[in-house]
Amino acid sequence: MDVRQPITRHQARVLAAVGVLTFFALWCVLSYANIVPTVILPTPTEVLRAFPVLHFQEALVRSIGGSLYRVYMGFLLAAVVAIPLGLLMGTFPPVKSFFVPLLDPLRFLPISALVPLFIVWFGIDEMQKIIFLFVGIVVYLLPLVVEAVENVDDVYLQTATTLGASKGQLIRHVLIPGSLPAIGEALRVMNGIGWTYVILAEVINARYGLGYLITAAGKRSNVDQIFALVLVILVIGVVTDWIIRMVNKQLFAWNE
Amino acid sequence: MARQLTPLGRFLFVVAGLSLLGYGLYKYGVLARIAGIVAPERRAEGTVSKDDFGSGSAAPAGTGAATSTSAALPSGGSRLKRPIKVAIVLWGGYAGGIMANNGMLPNPDSTFSRDFGVQVELLQIDDFDKSRDAFRAGGDKGGVDIMWSTVDAYALEYGGLSKLGPKAIMQYDWSRGGDAIAVDASIKSVADLKGKRLACAEATPSHFFALYVLTQGGLTNRDVNWVFTSSAVDAANVFKAGKVDAAVSWSPDVYVAAREREGGHILASTKEATNLIADIFVARGDFLEQHPEDARRFVAGWLRGVEMVRKNPDKAAVLLQKSLTGVNTLDDAKGMLDDVKLPDYGENRAFFNPQGSIVNYFSIYQSAQNIWRKIGKISSVNPAQQTVDTRFLDAGAEFFPGASTSVAESKPEFEFKAPAPRTTAAPILTKTVSIYFPSGASVLDENAKAVLDSQVVDLAATFGSAYLRVSGNTDNVGARDANVRLSRARAESVAQYLMTKGFDRNKFDVVGNGPDKPVASNDSDGGRAKNRRTDFEVIAR
Repeated sequence: MDVRQPITRHQARVLAAVGVLTFFALWCVLSYANIVPTVILPTPTEVLRAFPVLHFQEALVRSIGGSLYRVYMGFLLAAVVAIPLGLLMGTFPPVKSFFVPLLDPLRFLPISALVPLFIVWFGIDEMQKIIFLFVGIVVYLLPLVVEAVENVDDVYLQTATTLGASKGQLIRHVLIPGSLPAIGEALRVMNGIGWTYVILAEVINARYGLGYLITAAGKRSNVDQIFALVLVILVIGVVTDWIIRMVNKQLFAWNE
Repeated sequence: MARQLTPLGRFLFVVAGLSLLGYGLYKYGVLARIAGIVAPERRAEGTVSKDDFGSGSAAPAGTGAATSTSAALPSGGSRLKRPIKVAIVLWGGYAGGIMANNGMLPNPDSTFSRDFGVQVELLQIDDFDKSRDAFRAGGDKGGVDIMWSTVDAYALEYGGLSKLGPKAIMQYDWSRGGDAIAVDASIKSVADLKGKRLACAEATPSHFFALYVLTQGGLTNRDVNWVFTSSAVDAANVFKAGKVDAAVSWSPDVYVAAREREGGHILASTKEATNLIADIFVARGDFLEQHPEDARRFVAGWLRGVEMVRKNPDKAAVLLQKSLTGVNTLDDAKGMLDDVKLPDYGENRAFFNPQGSIVNYFSIYQSAQNIWRKIGKISSVNPAQQTVDTRFLDAGAEFFPGASTSVAESKPEFEFKAPAPRTTAAPILTKTVSIYFPSGASVLDENAKAVLDSQVVDLAATFGSAYLRVSGNTDNVGARDANVRLSRARAESVAQYLMTKGFDRNKFDVVGNGPDKPVASNDSDGGRAKNRRTDFEVIAR
């Protein structure tokens, strides 16, 4: 192996499959051979058996629906706020200077500590959960958007200016198209953040929700169900990641 | 002539077709059926009512057998080479062990090591899930051998832990004020909770406490709008913020929340429901099997610690404050001790004897298991006998010579003054029971006694510190004065019967209302039957 030596697509796929299979084999050996007690690490069979229980007794599909709704409403809201604001901040340094001292520290926000406050402010219904996820996502998304705009090469701006572009045209025809691919990529990365907060978002009054189900399974010491639910979230993550990647590819084909 | 459709036309055509199809599927219930398969609802929640608690709840087959406690300690096994590791939380109930151990870590001044020859390490793990992780790992692998639980919660988690062969080995406290229901100004008694929003952490002692109080007050689990939180503290916060009408939580959060909310107050707590939330230690099966002698000495040492706390509560408070994280002042520590009752050796024996105390391990476990199953929290049931091993407790008798092991010998815990206080405050709850008396007579027949056994004895024992107002009511047939006298005589014979169960006569305040307090119209047979009833009002001391 040389540093950054390229490999073929086929090789990459084989290596990926080997990686997954090795991990799975390790899980099988550790659990079936009882090297790690099954109360700590359930066997794949047990995890599989947890699915019918979750499906028929714990409303798994409705819970997936509930969590998808919350996470992507929060995500959408974050995008709607962060993209315009980020564009402005990336385009006009004074705007950035105004907001940076307010927004930068927010990335260090221990958001889990704010759960009780969010309840006081936004109640205990869907609003509180969505706003919580929105805050969790937006603080990370905004800096990425700003960075995307700032990373648009000055050459394009200069060329456009030389060609006599106005301020509005610079933004519309250079900065926005120039930063969109990076913004698309930022959205893809942020897709994961919402799911890491879903348990915290659903600590209260969530009739359907994957986070709620995980909490409930923990209380009953149902480790197999916890694994099954985590697996569901991972699958959702992989699928949505793929979807966003495809959409990005379609929208920003000129970037390739 | 057929004309070629434009793309838009084709699109509209398809949309219209699909809409029609969709409506048809919906109309004839096909969609609902598909949804039932693809995305079924959560398993339906059953109804929990007053009949589900106490001896009235049907015990699953196989649990009626006598205890397995007469057997000697399991043979074999070895002495443990390391400290016994015990998971505890921030709670006054651990005073016995902390006192016996002279702190959290093994040390030379520990009664455990000096008098009982075992090393004990107490670990404060406040996060519930983490304490369970530690229990699953086990004491040999960086976890714990013994963990805290409550009988009601243990019934819920037993299924998930059963592979570890867990056994309840002793009781370390009764919650006495540690759990409470805070309510807003509009709620004066349990019946007022109907239709209100009630917050609590789901499937916890708070939830169990709420279900008990609701059902005894004549409501069911379906009569309130539950707002489930993931922790008791959250429930208190939601109440404090005014988002719900009532919340069940624990001390001190629930009291703070009740104080800080305008008009908030405490409706009921385990200060009145003294014998409901029992904290117990649960040990891993492999630990008990491999080190039975250590387990026996641990139990005995802890209960010796309980005696030490009773002799010197001030020292216990100092030690509690020093040992547990989160106890800010000595007064806090004293308050924590006030919220619990530490049962001694004799009381432990009575608690783990199905024929011992009226409210005992087995009665609570079975009620709890039955309730969790009914509301869909568990699907498998286990005989209570399987979840407990009292041999370690029983084999500790040599350390406690003279300890009374039967209830009859022990003196009553609460003193009741005659006459009972006639406060203007509303009773916490009123349980209405229909007891059949022959016309004109006040004698209880066997049926009536059976009704009292299943409906009232458990209530009276669970609300150990509270007064119980027994009021007889009649319909309006016959002379009022005669009816008043008769209803009083009937209430008195109820109280007399309850005395035979070991209750203090002064606990009961006997009232004859005659026809004066009807709950239904006397114009119909059905209404009159409703009015012939006995009300049991739970009144805080």
